[in-house]
Amino acid sequence: MNKRRPYVRPMDGWWRKNPYFVEYMIHESTALFVAAYAAVLLFGLLRLSQGEAAWNAWLNTLGSSWFILFHLAALLAISYHTYTWFKIMPRTMPPVVIGGERLPAWAITGTGLAAAAAACLGLLAIVWGMAR
Amino acid sequence: MSEHSKIIEIEVLRYNPETDKVPSPQVFEVPFTDDMSVLQGIQYIKDHLDGSLSFRWSCRMAICGSCGMMINGVPHLSCETFLRDYYPARVRVEALNHFPIERDLVINMEGFIKKLESIQPYIIPKEPRTLAQGEYLQTPEELNRYEQFSSCINCMLCYAACPQFGLNPEFIGPAATALLHRYNVDTRDGAKEERMELVHSEEGVFHCTAVGYCSEVCPKHVDPANAVNQNKTNSAMDYFLRFISPKGGAK
Amino acid sequence: METYKADVVIVGGGGAGLRAAIAVAEFDPTLRIALVSKVYPMRSHTVAAEGGSAGVKLPTDKFDYHFNDTVTGGDWLCEQDVVEYFVSQCPEELTQLEHWGCPWSRTPDGHVNVRAFGGMKIERTWFAADKTGFHMLHTLFQTSIKYPSIKRFDEHFCVDLVVADGRTQGVVTIEIASGELTLIEARSVVIATGGAGRVFRENTNGGVVTGDGMALAYRHGVPLRDMEFVQYHPTCMPGTGLLFTEACRGEGGFLVNKDGYRYLQDYGLGPAEPTPRNKAMELGPRDRLSQAFWYEQQKGRTIEGPHGSVVHLDLRHLGEAKLRERLPQIYELAEQFLGVDPAHAPIPVRPAVHYTMGGILVDGKCAAPLPGLFAAGECSSVGIHGANRLGSNSLSELCVFGKVAGVEAARHAKSVAPGNSANLLKQAQAVEQRVVGLVRKSGGSERIATLRREMAQTMEDGCGIYRLAESMQKTCDKLDELKLRFKNVHIEDKSSVWNTEWLLAIELEYQLDVAQAMAYSALNRRESRGAHQRLDGYEARDDINFLKHSQAHYVADGAPRIDYGPVKITKSQPGTRAYGAAGEQAERERNASHV
Repeated sequence: MNKRRPYVRPMDGWWRKNPYFVEYMIHESTALFVAAYAAVLLFGLLRLSQGEAAWNAWLNTLGSSWFILFHLAALLAISYHTYTWFKIMPRTMPPVVIGGERLPAWAITGTGLAAAAAACLGLLAIVWGMAR
Repeated sequence: MSEHSKIIEIEVLRYNPETDKVPSPQVFEVPFTDDMSVLQGIQYIKDHLDGSLSFRWSCRMAICGSCGMMINGVPHLSCETFLRDYYPARVRVEALNHFPIERDLVINMEGFIKKLESIQPYIIPKEPRTLAQGEYLQTPEELNRYEQFSSCINCMLCYAACPQFGLNPEFIGPAATALLHRYNVDTRDGAKEERMELVHSEEGVFHCTAVGYCSEVCPKHVDPANAVNQNKTNSAMDYFLRFISPKGGAK
Repeated sequence: METYKADVVIVGGGGAGLRAAIAVAEFDPTLRIALVSKVYPMRSHTVAAEGGSAGVKLPTDKFDYHFNDTVTGGDWLCEQDVVEYFVSQCPEELTQLEHWGCPWSRTPDGHVNVRAFGGMKIERTWFAADKTGFHMLHTLFQTSIKYPSIKRFDEHFCVDLVVADGRTQGVVTIEIASGELTLIEARSVVIATGGAGRVFRENTNGGVVTGDGMALAYRHGVPLRDMEFVQYHPTCMPGTGLLFTEACRGEGGFLVNKDGYRYLQDYGLGPAEPTPRNKAMELGPRDRLSQAFWYEQQKGRTIEGPHGSVVHLDLRHLGEAKLRERLPQIYELAEQFLGVDPAHAPIPVRPAVHYTMGGILVDGKCAAPLPGLFAAGECSSVGIHGANRLGSNSLSELCVFGKVAGVEAARHAKSVAPGNSANLLKQAQAVEQRVVGLVRKSGGSERIATLRREMAQTMEDGCGIYRLAESMQKTCDKLDELKLRFKNVHIEDKSSVWNTEWLLAIELEYQLDVAQAMAYSALNRRESRGAHQRLDGYEARDDINFLKHSQAHYVADGAPRIDYGPVKITKSQPGTRAYGAAGEQAERERNASHV
């Protein structure tokens, strides 16, 4: 009679058992802020379509201290999300070969972060230009 | 081995299917020197303290892929992990995560082997060639494109690092995908389309949520996460290409 | 007990076993092949071979050169007709591996690249960085998956051959995961279980290299040939014995003593030049280099370390970029295991046991004297290595003779009728009783680890780089004693599932038999040749009395009986074996005398 009885360990709470997984879960959960912020913007668009009063009311709501807090939290979360997203980017794309040498991971991450920073600054410049 | 001056505690998760319902830890006190690997520590236990401890090992030099274990919760090859890096604290050793335990530190790897077999891990020639014609020409650059993915030693640390595999053992997983990719990007091979069927499938690459830990623990710098994620892109391309090209995309 | 009916059973899933399995499958897809391996095939020790695999490649090279290097390297104890066949087949077999996907390192124009290796006149060692064995093994394993007629018995441990009506008819195995035994019936059996280096203390070998197949054949009356020739590899890690490939020297590494002096020039291998010259200095053969180390140690010119004397393998002048490209594994081994960055510091090394030149006696067709039994690879003695193997010949041997063994086993299987199953089962049940009895018995008191340690120590003491009658006799006596004590061995573990202690005991018994064959063969060879060097009045090669193969025959409960067989000489008469400038001089003289 075969005496094998392989034991399968449970997966409960797997993400708490390794700091790498904890960080992964934080990274993943910051995506909720991206979604939430997109929802806020979409709602603003809806209000805009409903006329000037609606739009102004929405702007007013944004000015409340709760919303400023939300924006601050979203800024932090989305910054972290951006950072971790570019950090894993070298693992997700085909190798980039320049002059026979493979581009190292830090260069890909660095380029991504620099591009993100440049895009933010560009956007700020445009908004600042429109506001003037 | 020279003078044993220090003693380290090694806690091993034991399981004997013939006597135990569930695995449980057992602590051994092992004399050690600074050049001793965790594997040598476990061998000491088997030789001197408890002959019934079971584990796999062979080459001792990180190339045969036998001796993967969870060491303080992290997947490592025990032959190239050193006791000195844990001393004076206790070191905890356990069978590789996410695999069924057959006994003590021995996991059941039949599922992994089935996956390996399923990806057609051999050259299906693009253009047949006789031996008299000599070797296929392949430049160092072309070799470079797949060499990294051919360096996998099948140690399965990446599976022990992949929670998605833990949650769904059917997922083809990092190492098998890396090997699949290795053959797909080899200039001699012509069977990419056949292998992509598996990539697209239910067990395919889209189980991966880009945790990335598999590449982190890989002892041979294979970067299996890269293979998996490149194939997500390939799979997506195939999906969209089939709308515009009669030849592109999955069948 | 379950029975599985095959046509050919192959024991051992390393390079030779896999190549044999593929050869059978290609020879006749209708033949049922059972491939038995005590580990998953990719764990086999072929995986650890580093430097490369020899085969004539450059337009300036010739089969004759490869032949001469091999025969001279083997100190003329080679079967020359077999060597001729071997060198002629190497390029084709290595090309076959290329077609199967082996990632050989390439030249810029896309051809397979070759590197220099010890004792080889011209660069002819095909390589895949410094993981050649790894890549060859994985290529063969993965390719074997293509053939539906190969049924693998992974993690099945072979405990005996089944011999009936004067021919081999199958094997009995333990499924390690369950502890249950299986009879695999087959009309041909191929043994491809690798070497036996683990019988020595400090060795480069993996834990699996325990001479199982050698002992199995030996116990069934097949002689083990040339077992006294055990290769010490000159550059290994002190303590663990892990290997730093000869390719380190092929790429231009130096060996220096405690004064930073390239001492090999003092041992007939010079002159010392800044770049590698084939068959000179660091590219001399392994036996000579290990012997030179021994003399340096006697002269007090080695460096003392925690694990004994060492010399330095200096790779610094090659530069980090070249080391990372050509020797990536060596780089990591030095960093991780020794904390040495080879681009900036020399690596401490010393000789360790690496390879068993001898093995199961087979003819050029890999057939043993027992009908139906074939052997290939390190476990066999097909006759190409003689008294000293040249580095990179063994990986080629796996392919060339793995294929021969497969084809011949297939032919044999088709030519004989199946045996009487009931009879075979009865034999297998007797084997089961004996093997299970080992684990069931109680009252033993000898620890496996103690016996193993004493065996490995006595082999090192008596059968090391230099040998003396007195110490060899002591080793023989000690081995006799250990065999007696083994009868009283104690196995704590009484379970069935993954009982590795049980397997270790069986392996130890195999090892003791093989060690005895080695020690007694060594004691009886009263000359010095290749890797067998004596210091007790037999310092010279003696072609009159000992240009012959030793053959150890198993004697139950006693010392092996040693007799001798002839050496096949075809076109190379025994001459002076010289390297360096002296070697070039000798070659010029030889050529002149031929004209």
